[in-house]
Amino acid sequence: MADPLVKTEGLTRRFGALGAVNDVSLSFEEGRVHAVIGPNGAGKSTFLNLLSGELRATSGRILFRGQDVTRASPDRLSRLGVGRSYQTTNLFPELRCGDCVWLAAQSRLGTSMRFFRPAERYVEVEEGAARALSDCGLSSLRPAIAGQLSYGEQRQLEIAMMLATEPKLLLLDEPLAGLGHDEALRVVDLLRRVASGRTAILVEHDMDAVFTISDTVTVLVDGRVLETGSPDRIRASAKVREAYLGEETA
Amino acid sequence: MRRRAVLAVLAVGLGAVALSGDRFWMQFLGKAMIGCILAMSLDLLVGFSGLVSLAHSAFFGLAAYALAGLTNQLGLVSPLLTLPLCVLAAGSAALVIGWLSLRATGVYFIMVTLAFTQMLFYLFNDSPALGGSDGLYVAQRPVDSRLAAYAAIWAATILVYLLLARILRAPYGRTLEGIRDNEQRMRSLGYATRRYKLVAFVIAGALAGLAGYLDATLYGFVNPAQLGWRQSGLVLVTVLLGGKGTLYGPALGALLLAFIEHYGESVTEHWNALIAALVIAVVLFLPRGLAGLVQGSARG
Amino acid sequence: MSLSLFALQLVNGVEYGLLLFLVASGLTLVFGVLGVLNFAHGSFYMLGAYLAWWLSERTGSLALAILVGLPAMVLIGLLVERLAIARLYRRDHLSQVLLTYGLVLLFNELQRALWGNDVHGVATPRALSFTVPLGEAQTWPAWRAFTALCCIALAAAMRQLILKTRFGMRVRAGASNAEMVEALGIDVRRVFSVVFSAGTALAGLAGMLAAPLTTVYPGMGESILVLSFVVVVIGGIGSIKGAFLGALLVGIADTFGKVLLPGFASAMVYAVMAAVLLWRPRGLLGPAFEGR
Repeated sequence: MADPLVKTEGLTRRFGALGAVNDVSLSFEEGRVHAVIGPNGAGKSTFLNLLSGELRATSGRILFRGQDVTRASPDRLSRLGVGRSYQTTNLFPELRCGDCVWLAAQSRLGTSMRFFRPAERYVEVEEGAARALSDCGLSSLRPAIAGQLSYGEQRQLEIAMMLATEPKLLLLDEPLAGLGHDEALRVVDLLRRVASGRTAILVEHDMDAVFTISDTVTVLVDGRVLETGSPDRIRASAKVREAYLGEETA
Repeated sequence: MRRRAVLAVLAVGLGAVALSGDRFWMQFLGKAMIGCILAMSLDLLVGFSGLVSLAHSAFFGLAAYALAGLTNQLGLVSPLLTLPLCVLAAGSAALVIGWLSLRATGVYFIMVTLAFTQMLFYLFNDSPALGGSDGLYVAQRPVDSRLAAYAAIWAATILVYLLLARILRAPYGRTLEGIRDNEQRMRSLGYATRRYKLVAFVIAGALAGLAGYLDATLYGFVNPAQLGWRQSGLVLVTVLLGGKGTLYGPALGALLLAFIEHYGESVTEHWNALIAALVIAVVLFLPRGLAGLVQGSARG
Repeated sequence: MSLSLFALQLVNGVEYGLLLFLVASGLTLVFGVLGVLNFAHGSFYMLGAYLAWWLSERTGSLALAILVGLPAMVLIGLLVERLAIARLYRRDHLSQVLLTYGLVLLFNELQRALWGNDVHGVATPRALSFTVPLGEAQTWPAWRAFTALCCIALAAAMRQLILKTRFGMRVRAGASNAEMVEALGIDVRRVFSVVFSAGTALAGLAGMLAAPLTTVYPGMGESILVLSFVVVVIGGIGSIKGAFLGALLVGIADTFGKVLLPGFASAMVYAVMAAVLLWRPRGLLGPAFEGR
């Protein structure tokens, strides 16, 4: 069996006395969509932040392609191939959509330290940006100011920016949060397209989406792994249902 | 387009002053244009990188003192030699101070740049060997005639504008703006943001050094008061006054402040209070500066 | 260096550090709680010193001058906060720097217009004008000891106030999340006013205590401001404990620097700052950096 793309070993993050993530050891197979779900406060977002480098682990290890990246900075992780989309809108609100994706695309192409030719002349970057936008169905919104888009469109832009960095691993932080039914369907469709052929770790509350797109599901409760398995097994599991008792799911 | 035409006319007008040979105006506008160079280079940091630096005048002063040192101690006079050396000195200092300061973020950064600026001020102010609080005369200026000095300053101002405008339109400029708007996001996109900020800091420092070199050329005199945080503060004022993040705005702000300072001095003894009132008024009522006014009317 | 000279410098350094702490604590509190970087903080120190001189000249007693001057400083703090600082909440750094810079210029002009450019000496109260022997060869002015004791007492009082009282809790809460505190119905504006006035009074008091030691002169606000900034950078923004440690460090480094390397005295202090920056960019006790 191939080595997992990402592996965590005893990953722990404490805030004072509170253990947000406790001794989580998980493997994420390459080319699969692996969802991480759980009741509110289970530590899902913290877990994702640990993987993207924005939070430092209290103890434990993170391995990416066998390399220890526990202490790697967010920018280094991105260059290694880790892409991230955010739960709360984290764009460049004053820039146009085209420019947002342009910045994302440029990060891979090494033109950022060029001082003399106008940016528009760098065709490779323009093409990379245009591709990411069209993959997400946002080509028509290219000149629109990012901060003025609808919530759903901003979600799509988030994903487009992530795609433009050509990531091998997608960290998706509640991409469907706050979306209306139609918008959610559109984004789920986009996610399915985007995730095929790539490895994704999806944190979501929307159970329909989770069970539709995912290959594997892990349930976190109080920062610990309760169970990992196929969507069917998780759906049928009594333990999981008990953990969710009284919780609104999607 | 229209803006560029206006700036071109302004540039030509400033150049024409050289033809008049008027001594007062050449001295005054020469000083004002040096302020433009300082303002534009600081805008690279404040307006386009989101870095409020109080160290700008330190690099201005360092290059000026470097000229004094090169000329007085080593007998070097030719601008072909002294100009690059002085700018290099300022840029190198910016590299060291920038590298240390950028380890700090946000307000820490501002405070650290203040501390380094004062350190350099005290260094020059308290050392008799470096002229002490009286300053130093430059034994022989790189250019002899006032006309040549003015022409050099005029050319430099235009070139600095064109250079910075170019850099800002290039991929580096866009990257810098991304860092200003959302540094954390840029990092998660794979950019080692500190590196870009350091490059901006060095470019700005070197250009401030150019301004200092020209100032020493114009007056033939350097003194520690040019190095302190008060001076840096005044350059920040011109950036705010003109409109940060517009490049041309701060240049206009510098010209305006030069006029205000000059006429303020002749009107009242307490013209510092006048400047203070102006600064406070601009912060409270005109936060986007003159350029904001111009752009506002263009849109509305 | 003889042992008694060393002891003298050490004691001087600690006393200087304690004075610095008084000033820096106000600065770090204001930034930690209000989120405003106040460049005019040094001006309050200067105002305190000038008030001490002016009032003691009029009344013949420094003690009386301080008693009257302190409430005056509190009032000044309240006014400044209401009229100027309040407009800076949530604004960008450039605006904060420049508005408070404008205030510095204003206060400088005010000082010049009221009291002129001369340097003034201030006499210590007769009751405290003796010296304390220090080892065999040195003596220490009682006023310095008094100043040091005042600062220590204030530091202890601050600690009690912030850690053990309800008001202190509100201050700490406001520092970490002002919006949340507001949502809970607590009047954040009042907390801000009180904290700012307290900071102003602390700086003013430091000026009053220092007046007999350093004389009263026009530029005195600026040098103390820069050193306070160094203290806050070293100690960490918002941390009183950090300000205390940083101030002692800076006070001792500066005092010994002046004796050991007369030409480069100030350089010592900045070298320490640079060293701390290299090791801990957020200060020794600053807010923890959660990421990488």
